[in-house]
Amino acid sequence: MKKKKMFLRMITASLLRRRSRMLVALLAIAVGATILSGLVTIYDDVPRQMGEQFRSYGANMIFMPSNGGELSGDSLQQAKNRIAEKQLVGYAPYRYENITVNERPMMAAATDFDGAAKTSPYWRVDGAWPSGVGEALVGKETAQTLALNVGDEVTLTYDLDKTPATADEAANTERNQNSAAFHVAGILDTGGNEEKYFFISIEDMEALTGKADCFDMAELSVTASQNELKTYADDISQHTDGVSARLVKRVTQSENTVLSKLQALVLLVTVIVLLLTMICVATTMMAVVTERRKEVGLRKALGASNKSIIVEFMGEGLLLGGIGGLLGSVFGFIFAQAVSMNVFNSSIQFRWLLIPVTVVVSVLVTGLSCLLPVRSATDVDPALVLKGE
Amino acid sequence: MFFRMIKGALFRQKSKMIMIAVTIALGSSLATAMLNIMLDVGDKVNQELKAYGANITVVPKENSVLDSLYDLDDGGESVAHLKEEDLGKIKTIFWGFNILDFTPFVNTVVTLGDGSTAKLTGTWFNHHLALNTGEELDAGIHSLRSWWEIKNGQWLDEQKESIPANGALIGSALAARLGVETGDTLEVNTAKGSQALQIAGVYDAGGDEDEQLFTLLPVAQMLADCQGLIDSIEVSALTTPDNELARKAATKGPGALSPADYETWYCTAYVSSICYQIQEAIPDSVASAVRQVAESEGTILDKTRLLMILITILSLFGSALGISNLVTASVMERSNEIGLLKAIGARDSRISGIVLTEIMLTAIVGGVAGYFMGYGFAQIIGHTVFASAIEMKPMVIPLVAVLIIIVTLAGSIPAIRMLLRLRPAEVLHGR
Repeated sequence: MKKKKMFLRMITASLLRRRSRMLVALLAIAVGATILSGLVTIYDDVPRQMGEQFRSYGANMIFMPSNGGELSGDSLQQAKNRIAEKQLVGYAPYRYENITVNERPMMAAATDFDGAAKTSPYWRVDGAWPSGVGEALVGKETAQTLALNVGDEVTLTYDLDKTPATADEAANTERNQNSAAFHVAGILDTGGNEEKYFFISIEDMEALTGKADCFDMAELSVTASQNELKTYADDISQHTDGVSARLVKRVTQSENTVLSKLQALVLLVTVIVLLLTMICVATTMMAVVTERRKEVGLRKALGASNKSIIVEFMGEGLLLGGIGGLLGSVFGFIFAQAVSMNVFNSSIQFRWLLIPVTVVVSVLVTGLSCLLPVRSATDVDPALVLKGE
Repeated sequence: MFFRMIKGALFRQKSKMIMIAVTIALGSSLATAMLNIMLDVGDKVNQELKAYGANITVVPKENSVLDSLYDLDDGGESVAHLKEEDLGKIKTIFWGFNILDFTPFVNTVVTLGDGSTAKLTGTWFNHHLALNTGEELDAGIHSLRSWWEIKNGQWLDEQKESIPANGALIGSALAARLGVETGDTLEVNTAKGSQALQIAGVYDAGGDEDEQLFTLLPVAQMLADCQGLIDSIEVSALTTPDNELARKAATKGPGALSPADYETWYCTAYVSSICYQIQEAIPDSVASAVRQVAESEGTILDKTRLLMILITILSLFGSALGISNLVTASVMERSNEIGLLKAIGARDSRISGIVLTEIMLTAIVGGVAGYFMGYGFAQIIGHTVFASAIEMKPMVIPLVAVLIIIVTLAGSIPAIRMLLRLRPAEVLHGR
């Protein structure tokens, strides 16, 4: 009991009396621990955060009818529900129909605009996204062909029986048509095929064609690795009637390539930075301890055993390491949070597991770097140490 | 005397000085490696992002209107054409060096043996091109379709002798439908002629292209009866992410820019300015950015750069604190020596001079060694991650040098001043 008390008093006294030096040591450990916990948090979080950024490449999974037929809203919903909601960034069903504008054959696509804006974030709309019934988004090429501008009206016509194949046929036969006028809300610029289409809401398409609840395909944007996506696709194709899920290889494969490189980059950077920082911490600790060779010599001269000296120094080191580690976990999280907010605009969760890890690593590094100089001091004859040789 | 004292300090306290030098070397190698990686990561990731394929498509001028009028979605022959002989001009534009790869396309619809139709595309696979400028290059579709998986067989390659002149790649869906395998020959017909294609491989593209055939350019040109003409070009270019200026130029047209802005825009590798220059180089063409690729590239690049900048700041901060900490610790432990110097009458400025010179000398040695260590670390990362060397920017050297000097001074001056304030008698007494 007495011994323990003395031990504690010696440790606290040495920490308090040598305040400035201990502050230096504590600072070194805290900086090392901050870098450790900050970088590990970032490394752990980068795949998720970067994965979300890669969703700007658009849909990475599509649902198609498995039997060449059409997709019903129910089966799509069923298939969609198999994907964890957390991972689903966007979902947009599509339905394509041939229509005519002033007897010119055109293609109209019906979709959910909120979903399309999420699955295809690279679409650039001059004007505004259609906000409701009676509004259309017109592809840039089509808009040029028909000389349409934002705010114009355009009438889409749908042949309920069959689109006439030739101009003669169109003129001669009685045609059963549906027409609807649309307000051009925006012009769509994508640099791809979408520039050739009219985009209208699903309700409008159902009214125009008189046919409800059928889709040609659905686009999904899912934050998941290529393997996870494959599992989802197999699962959906197997368990949902009439839906076959396919990966957009161009997006998944390329994302896999690039993301794995980025991850490797952050990993290597983390490892090298940590390694160097830990060595830095160790040298500082060694410098702080080496300077106390005299003290070691004095204690030995007073009859302390090597073991008790080492235990005392280690106790000091462990205390410092523990405090530094705790400080570091907090500052590291603050740093990681700042990075996440600045780079990805999203917050990260505190990883509780990192606290014990950071503390243990700091304690180990501190302990080891104390041990070496104390050992060498205790090995030497106290007389020599005290004399200053 | 001054020098002898410094020399004495440096050599007698060898192990201590070595430790300081090692710490400074570690810090400076960290700074060097991180700064170089940070400055180069944009280019490296940009290269990697080329996996997504072409970011610019070039089509004939009239075609962009006509195609949507008459050939809605059968993907058939277009009416207007570009000239095959103009292709090399792509490499001669102002930003020609940034054009990584490009390939021409000729599309036609062929009738197969069983009466069904399929889209046949003629293109370059690994075409050797000698430009008027004397430059030589290989261009083709291979790098623009990095996600294609050749299931059996191999990529076509015009430069390999073993590839037949009528070689073709077939999409996995079409191959399954027709029951065709690698090594088979497939007879295709158009209004202009017929040709037996030798299937060199089956590819899985995971998209519409699985229903198509790809063959060498001359074969498709013969079948489509458009010798020397092409339908479209896909270009993969290294670009700078768009900013305000680029957006203004893209929406209002370059004509709306002021002359100074125009100059800046034209001489920056924005995707819109590269498109503009391609249009200038190839007569009657319209080059447009594939927004899916171009836009996303910008996002990813910006994020990666910012991420690396912040990590670099953290590690610079860490190494700066590490160095100044150690320097402080090592100066403070010399209280006895400083007390003694004061006791025998040395002036404060003299003492500071000696201590600082010692530390700066050590810092220079450590810093230089650290620079080369950092070089090594940067190259390790470059080769493991990107399989190419990280370019060492000369501007990093002064940056690291200034950092080390500031940090060392910041670490030693307060400690020296603190020690100078102490009274020698007390210090020597051991308080």
